[in-house]
Amino acid sequence: MFVAKRLVFWHFWVAFAAFFGAILLGEWQMFVRSPLSAWINNPEHYYRSVTAHGTVMAYVLPTLVAMGFGYAITELALKRPLIGLRWAWAGFWLVIAGTAVAAITVALGKASVLYTFYPPMIASSFYYIGVVLVVVGSWIWVALMSINLRAWRKVNPGATVPLAMYGNVAGAYLWAWTSVGAAVEILVLILPASLGLTDTINAGLARVLFSWTLHAIVYFWLMPAYIAFYTIVPRAIGGRLYSDTMGRVAFALFLVFSMPIGIHHLFADPQVGAGFKFVHAAMTAMVTVPTLLTVFTIVASVEIAGRLRGGKGLFGWIRALPWENPMMLAVTFAFIMLGLGGAGGIINMSYQLNETIHNTQWVTGHFHLIFAGAIVIMYFMVAYDIWPQLTGCAPLPARVLRTQLWLWFIGMLILTLPWHWVGILGMPRRMAYYDYSHPALQPQAWTVIASTFGGLLLVISAALFIYVLAVSRKTDSAPAPYTFSETVHAPASTPLALNTFGLWVAMMIALTVINYGYPIVQLAMLEDARVPVIPLGVR
Amino acid sequence: MMRNGRLFSWSDSVVRGCTIALALLTVGCLLIGFVWLPSVHEDFTVDGLWASLCRAAGVPAQWASPSDDRGQSTSVILTRSMADPGTQAAVGRGATLALNCTMCHGAKGISASDAPNLAGQYSEVIIKQMQDFRQGHRVNPVMQAIAGSLSATDVRDLAAYYAYLPKARVAPTTYDEALPSLVRVGDPLRNIAPCISCHGGVDQKLGAPWLEGMPKRYLVTQLNAFIGGTRHNDAGAQMRNMVRWMTEKEVEEVAEFYARKAGTGEVAQRVDGGGSLSR
Repeated sequence: MFVAKRLVFWHFWVAFAAFFGAILLGEWQMFVRSPLSAWINNPEHYYRSVTAHGTVMAYVLPTLVAMGFGYAITELALKRPLIGLRWAWAGFWLVIAGTAVAAITVALGKASVLYTFYPPMIASSFYYIGVVLVVVGSWIWVALMSINLRAWRKVNPGATVPLAMYGNVAGAYLWAWTSVGAAVEILVLILPASLGLTDTINAGLARVLFSWTLHAIVYFWLMPAYIAFYTIVPRAIGGRLYSDTMGRVAFALFLVFSMPIGIHHLFADPQVGAGFKFVHAAMTAMVTVPTLLTVFTIVASVEIAGRLRGGKGLFGWIRALPWENPMMLAVTFAFIMLGLGGAGGIINMSYQLNETIHNTQWVTGHFHLIFAGAIVIMYFMVAYDIWPQLTGCAPLPARVLRTQLWLWFIGMLILTLPWHWVGILGMPRRMAYYDYSHPALQPQAWTVIASTFGGLLLVISAALFIYVLAVSRKTDSAPAPYTFSETVHAPASTPLALNTFGLWVAMMIALTVINYGYPIVQLAMLEDARVPVIPLGVR
Repeated sequence: MMRNGRLFSWSDSVVRGCTIALALLTVGCLLIGFVWLPSVHEDFTVDGLWASLCRAAGVPAQWASPSDDRGQSTSVILTRSMADPGTQAAVGRGATLALNCTMCHGAKGISASDAPNLAGQYSEVIIKQMQDFRQGHRVNPVMQAIAGSLSATDVRDLAAYYAYLPKARVAPTTYDEALPSLVRVGDPLRNIAPCISCHGGVDQKLGAPWLEGMPKRYLVTQLNAFIGGTRHNDAGAQMRNMVRWMTEKEVEEVAEFYARKAGTGEVAQRVDGGGSLSR
């Protein structure tokens, strides 16, 4: 790496420090509402904790990881120093400042509105300003990714953009567009109400705007993991990437289909028409396509590794895989969790089936399994893989990494599978306590205890992760040059559309206009849609 | 190396293929969602194709004429500005008007009978209740007659005056293990939220009165009126839903708890900043 080493290092450290704090809050939440603890003294403390946990895990951790990894990719894949280093630091400090402002406001009990905001509940303005600063900091990153790619193209006219950078910039453009929904919601609707300029708020419109961000943000979280699947995993396990084109197609499809689907979060909202709900549900099904393409391509790439290591026959290659390699373990765990979580997600996105699990623990189980499970485990691997480049340390000890990954995997299953189960039984999410003495709930009590222990394993795993990174020391010898996966057959030519973003960004915007245009305009013009705000924690 | 050419050229097979595929997918989804699926639901199709399309798109239907407020629990929309402290002139005028109220609500807003104490009550609470009396959403022969004779300004000034007076309680309720369980944690399985999450303790929500030191008989009567549905001016049936499953004993216990926190009205003056919601 050239100039971005410290930048990436600090992005990762702050991300993981915040992550560790938030995971402790998560485990505390699990404990206080389990039968192992008496009912929480003050439910407000629980919601304060949920707000902090969600805000850090949904906004701070993935944004900083995507930014840091993005800067690293820019230098490692384009093989040039990062342009705009000062701006990048400015973005970093904006994210830090935003996180601090939001965290302090939440800690003071002035913003227990959960990270999804839920107007007409209105928190202190400082909370929203903090979130906005985090997002604005990330917009600087988006601009830098675009500028760096453009500069690279200028000196490499006609060359194929490396796959890692293609995915990275796709993620940046996706984030730029998806963050617009929540940004408009905060700047136009929530902040004026929070600052006392208006006494009412168009809550239905606010929810629609948030749904604009709410689902596509998931794919922004997911991009670093998918970039790792395609461009790190095959190299790390001694294989080859089965298809470079498939990777580009997957990233392009995420750009197109992540956006126009968020209304599947609003199936129970009366202000959105059933026709739009159906269209969003159907298009949500389309995002399974890039995911299945990825699973196919990566499994094929892994098979190549197995066969290169002498594996024979229909299944013999599986035994020949480098199971002692942490990356092999991580990608396996990630796919298992992605598979289980994805299957559950098909129920969430279905207009009718959703009714059975709406607002239950099932939903919590689903997104923890996908995000905290499949995606965050790949964040770990990205950090492990890139750490020698950042600190000059030797490759990190495989045995400890394997233990950490096993703990994360098992912990996550023990945490989330019981949540899925009780979700089907109807246990609501976001409850500070349950009355386990009631005969109807008593049979479900064990599941909450199980999840608490699952959470404990995750805390231990996270501590181990932080420990491994913290104790790594610089060695005298320089780390081996960083490489991304090679494809099994270098593509003879890459179609122009798959080397650029214009077509996919145009499709993304067009579909957003078709799928969101009418609901937004209609609600914005509806006078009756404004409801009085409910200020929280002010007297 | 990549192929050269212009990106948005129709001759590019990728651009052409992807655009056609996406257009077909989108049109297909729209047709299914807006035409075919509604066509099998009678409530969508009863007024013809255009109405069915509008319904699928979420165009709001007119359920009742705007002037028809039958079945509406209240027509007061609580806004933050209703909680703003009144000017000195408003407080003074309110004090004069309040001479009319002293018979039941006490000389300084602390009732010697079983009428509610008004001293220190949040102004938006008084405004809302008076307007509900005026419009018949809350029923009480004495109060309806009095409220009917007051203008909107009179009500605002009265509210400003009472909000200005010191509260009639020992101290605000704060979270404490010794609180009765319904007050402290409610009962999740009966959908009863803790009293202190709206009436002060955890949070004090707009429109929720402070209750400490209120006459017990007043509290019991009002809770029972909510249970029986004879009082129904709570927007969204908020209180009716809370108390519906409360037993007689629980009503007694909760009322007793709040009534016992009576003070002289001199102690807790301005502890909570007078209740303004402005920041």
